[in-house]
Amino acid sequence: MELQKQFEAIQSNFDAESLPLRKNALEAFEKLGIPSTKHEEWKYTNIKAKLKPDFTVATTNSQVNAAVKNYIASLPPYAFRLIFLNGIFHSELSIVPDIKGVTVCNLQEAFEHHTALTEKHFGKLVNLSDEHFAALNTAFVADGAFIHVQKNVVVNEPIYIQYFFTATDVNAFAQTRNLVILEDGASLQIAEDFRNASNISVQYNHVAEMYVGSNAQLDVVKLQMEVSNAIGVHTLESKVERNGRFSVATITFSSPNTGTHNVLIRNNVTSRLVGEGAHADFAGLYFGKENALIDNHILVDHVAPNCTSNQLYKGVLNQESTGVFNGKIFVKPDAQKTNAFQSSKALLLSKEASINSKPQLEIFADDVKCSHGAAIGQLDENSLFYLMARGVSKQEATQILTYAFAHEVVDHVHSKPIRQFLCDKLKDELQLNF
Amino acid sequence: MLSIKNLNVAISGKEILKDFNLEIKPGEVHAIMGPNGTGKSTLAATLAGKEDYEVLSGEVIFNDKNLLEMEADERAREGVFLAFQYPVEIPGVSTTNFMKAAVNAKRKHNGLEPLDAKDFLKLMNEKSALVEIKREFLSRSINEGFSGGEKKRNEIFQMAMLEPSLCVLDETDSGLDIDALRIVANGVNKLRDANRSFLVITHYQRLLNYIVPDYVHVMFGGRIVKSGGKELALKLEAEGYDWVKEEVMIG
Repeated sequence: MELQKQFEAIQSNFDAESLPLRKNALEAFEKLGIPSTKHEEWKYTNIKAKLKPDFTVATTNSQVNAAVKNYIASLPPYAFRLIFLNGIFHSELSIVPDIKGVTVCNLQEAFEHHTALTEKHFGKLVNLSDEHFAALNTAFVADGAFIHVQKNVVVNEPIYIQYFFTATDVNAFAQTRNLVILEDGASLQIAEDFRNASNISVQYNHVAEMYVGSNAQLDVVKLQMEVSNAIGVHTLESKVERNGRFSVATITFSSPNTGTHNVLIRNNVTSRLVGEGAHADFAGLYFGKENALIDNHILVDHVAPNCTSNQLYKGVLNQESTGVFNGKIFVKPDAQKTNAFQSSKALLLSKEASINSKPQLEIFADDVKCSHGAAIGQLDENSLFYLMARGVSKQEATQILTYAFAHEVVDHVHSKPIRQFLCDKLKDELQLNF
Repeated sequence: MLSIKNLNVAISGKEILKDFNLEIKPGEVHAIMGPNGTGKSTLAATLAGKEDYEVLSGEVIFNDKNLLEMEADERAREGVFLAFQYPVEIPGVSTTNFMKAAVNAKRKHNGLEPLDAKDFLKLMNEKSALVEIKREFLSRSINEGFSGGEKKRNEIFQMAMLEPSLCVLDETDSGLDIDALRIVANGVNKLRDANRSFLVITHYQRLLNYIVPDYVHVMFGGRIVKSGGKELALKLEAEGYDWVKEEVMIG
């Protein structure tokens, strides 16, 4: 069905206040369409060929199935969790924090009861005129997580936002969304976790807008674990005010032996440092298998002076998998005394694996310190020999050295319970039992 | 225990070991001395199974098995241990986790169950005391930021953990001050027994004051040119290698 008709069919469900924005977004998307590889930002990621051309964006009915229950049961005991099925909030499975100065609810409720905040922030960080998937999402998204932390309120336990996809229709293209607002001096840790809990291939398009006030601190972990049969596009837009700190770690593990060879993950992670002394920290770790494609596009926009940013990405690519890394550092004319660093490293563990890595620095201020480094290679032969000379098999030595390579990124995850969870996942992934 | 016959080894096409012969019986300590570039470290790396070393001809029999047919990891599980001249730093993996993998790989090879956490800890405590290595070093990344002495002590610790039957020490004394040398040598001496043999490669006689060898060999031009008892090391220390070279020329 044409998108316009799909929109007309469901627009009565949307909050009236958001309708003009949604219509603009739809119009923008109709102009942009799904990008082909001719588009510079999608040169190595042929999403047009992967996405079902007749996708439907309307929400499909959401059933709690055994896969959902089992996964929730397997999670470490997080204090707070928000569960979404096909993008729609499931209150019974969720544990919503009840903390003074913190508002946590779903977007539908936020549109209804926190209109001043949604009007001010929803759809304001995404660029509808040239971000294809953010435009599509803004037009159609039905629900998502809404978190608002008042001035100087510190939330100590991480909030875990879990998106399950339980689609029964292969043409479904789920639209999910988070809106996170930290007022000045607030502090919060969140995890966004995405999981295919269906027997079929799923398609989803996630957008998050995150506001970090002055002296506030927001730590985000994006978990894309055991990804199989999924086409996922993620857009995260953050804005950081004076002396605010933002960190995001994006962890992508493609699952082996799916047999269906259908994994495409694209992450667009952007941070705009608009207040003096702001800091952004980007970490990424990805494991590709079979013919998975994992694409990380990072943009840090230094707008204000005296800001710092750091990008550390590491990939491990097996079999015929492909990695894409594009790290942009923009330094605007006013952003003097910027200090920006970028590092991208990839291990190619098979002859067929490949990575397309591109640093992109655009600097319009003269008193800045920017550096980048990229390394692509195999494991160090001397290290392999050292481990093998103690009786460790070549396979296990490879796993141990891969663990050593990857662990640095896990160390960048601020939240202790999530860091421990990732450390265990990493050992599982590499079949290490130490 | 170890029998090396007519071994010829090349690296990058250049022949380093030439018709090398050596017999080591259980419990013996053999020292190999010689000037730089005579093939001492090549011998050590060849025994451990480093890939870049090309065996042109000859045989190495270790406990009745053909060592040259085995990969490096299998040799280690069979009981060969090389203490590296330059131990490798591996950030991100602790020595403890490394040893857990290594000890259990060897146990599996011998048909034993992996050690449980309690027994492994007990073994670690016992062996770390033997080489006077602090436990905190073992929870740090392998050799990362270690001084020369700490690295060598870690080598001897690993040797103690794996209980090999043939220990090859490749210039373990290089870069050690006198205190570190004493501690490392004490560790080695505590591991000496009737079944465990040692091949100690060194430039200097100094180490052999602490680890007293049964035999001393002098290597020159890729082969052993002179063998004797521990007194040969003292003579070399006092007179240098020139007289050996002259003997070889005349011979």
